[in-house]
Amino acid sequence: MNNTAASPMSTATSSSGRSTGKSVSFATELQSMMFSLGDARRPLHETAVLVEDVVHTQLINLLQQAAEISQLRGARVISAEDLLFLMRKDKKKLRRLLKYMFIRDYKSKIIKGIDEDDLLEDKLTGSSNANKRQKFAQDFLNSVDQTGELLAMFEDDEIDEVKQERMERAERQTRIMDSAQYAEFCESRQLSFSKKASKFRDWLDCSSMEIKPNVVAMEILAYLAYETVAQLVDLALLVRQDMVTKAGDPFSHAISATFIQYHNSAESTAACGVEAHSDAIQPCHIREAVRRYGRKIGPLSPFTSAYRRNGTAFLAC
Amino acid sequence: MRLINAFRAQTGSEAARSTGSPQPPTAGPLPMDEETYLELYLDQCAVQDDLVPPRSPLFSPVVPYVYPPNPSNPETTFNSHLESKETSGDFSSVDLSFLPDEFTQENKEQAVIRSKHEIEENCETQSQQSRLPLPSGQDVGPGLDSSSLSSSRSHLHPGDANSIQSSPEKANSNPSPLASITPMTPMTPVSECSGIVPQLQNIVSTVNLACKLDLKKIALHAKNAEYNPKRFAAVIMRIREPRTTALIFSSGKMVCTGAKSEEQSRLAARKYARIVQKLGFPARFLDFKIQNMVGSCDVRFSIRLEGLVLTHQQFSSYEPELFPGLIYRMVKPRIVLLIFVSGKVVLTGAKERSEIYEAFENIYPILKGFRKA
Repeated sequence: MNNTAASPMSTATSSSGRSTGKSVSFATELQSMMFSLGDARRPLHETAVLVEDVVHTQLINLLQQAAEISQLRGARVISAEDLLFLMRKDKKKLRRLLKYMFIRDYKSKIIKGIDEDDLLEDKLTGSSNANKRQKFAQDFLNSVDQTGELLAMFEDDEIDEVKQERMERAERQTRIMDSAQYAEFCESRQLSFSKKASKFRDWLDCSSMEIKPNVVAMEILAYLAYETVAQLVDLALLVRQDMVTKAGDPFSHAISATFIQYHNSAESTAACGVEAHSDAIQPCHIREAVRRYGRKIGPLSPFTSAYRRNGTAFLAC
Repeated sequence: MRLINAFRAQTGSEAARSTGSPQPPTAGPLPMDEETYLELYLDQCAVQDDLVPPRSPLFSPVVPYVYPPNPSNPETTFNSHLESKETSGDFSSVDLSFLPDEFTQENKEQAVIRSKHEIEENCETQSQQSRLPLPSGQDVGPGLDSSSLSSSRSHLHPGDANSIQSSPEKANSNPSPLASITPMTPMTPVSECSGIVPQLQNIVSTVNLACKLDLKKIALHAKNAEYNPKRFAAVIMRIREPRTTALIFSSGKMVCTGAKSEEQSRLAARKYARIVQKLGFPARFLDFKIQNMVGSCDVRFSIRLEGLVLTHQQFSSYEPELFPGLIYRMVKPRIVLLIFVSGKVVLTGAKERSEIYEAFENIYPILKGFRKA
């Protein structure tokens, strides 16, 4: 597993976490989340536990790196800027994060307009929240950006392929559901780490760290945690797809996995109804997905990004 | 205007041909005419469809508008009023629908009263009601242009506060009178309007009292006033009828929120202005403007939001982990809709009531397409 290649500190925390039996566990929430992201109707508990472990490890690593950067800056808390800085290498993910922040602002603006109580509250507290996050992100990127490509992301309106794929998968999934199942699906989709902020904070357990994240940074971390889970499910589904060998089809490995998935699901549901167990993601899929993600192929792979030096590949950034 | 007169002249001449009775001159400018005659037309059709279901007046080649022979419906009291004026039979009475004058006032009042449940009726009975953004490919009479008619209508529309309420069915009935002029063209059944009227939930308006105010004095002397200069630089005042809240600034500007209709908002703003006046300030009532209107309604079926966000990507954003509803930014009219899985729809960002109705009529067929059984 990729964890073994991680820095000693993180392995210590994760193994100690496991040995003491973490009091805070997101396993049940993760099961619902995985269902909403494309897993089977009842994801396996083992898979959820494994995913929780992976996400936790990754977040702790991320926090430590962010803490280092904070120290470089001379700041007392880990703020969103550090996290944004860490993500600068992966433009697509950064763009997704920025878009998320923007949508968050926009949504609060709309809700404010609808509910007069909210409007008054906002005026009374005196904070002009409108576009606060986006402005902040923009200012920061302005200061860091040297080649101008980060700032170009704000104007850039490219379609986010990964998001597109997720949307398509969700659409396919929901098309065949009846209204009761769909209601359940919607409930699961609404789960997120940001909703359970205090539990998330406990789970993350930053008490051992010197520099702690501030509120905005916690929001971003919750988002990154969710993205990690989503990414894991995406990859695991691909891996599972690869594992299914279609006899007699020499090009099956070359066909896009989503295409196969689509046809497979159509056939299987038509033929024999949904079998929850065979469709659920197994822990082995997750492990394989993480392994593949960590492995970098290519001539310059030993010399690529700095944040891979310690061996973990961050799924979220 | 010109087209409408041409249209009237055409029917006038038809009527003259068939009945030979002299027609009233239709050349004069008729201010509120479009609305009134359309409302009339709606009444007629509603009544006709109620009373005479098999006979479709619109398909009849000779008679573009057919008057109900004996209007038992109370709505048609106005129509019978017209009828009494008529000497000849049902056909020529149609032309009186173009008469502006003495009936204009009655038209408007009656139309406004009936506006709400007319929509419902018309939707059920009249198959040719269509939504406002009408493709110009719809049947229109030769030589008549429904799109220019609609533009002339929308040009009239903003000027009249009264007609705001009657605008939905006005908008809906836009192509129908024109279409019926072309008797030979068969009516293509268009999608029915939804039959659901969004209810206004909140109106935010601003007004300028045009005088500098001493907020401390206002807060001390007025009932239901809060003032905390350290937190926010305005007095927050509330009145019970209409139940609203106002933010009054020292510059004399005031924001009034919480009313459920335009009239109530205006009335509430006036009440606040009167309170300020009574406290000794020379308050006036300038530039009352409605800044935002919020409406909501229920389509009464579940909606599959994943499908909607995929097909309308450029307008919608759906992040269920952030907010359970889909945020749909409609371009025309510029309204933001919050669409929930349960079927509830919230519309916001409107400056006029018609925008809310229009937006809902636009979205309804789309939502129906993503109905979750």
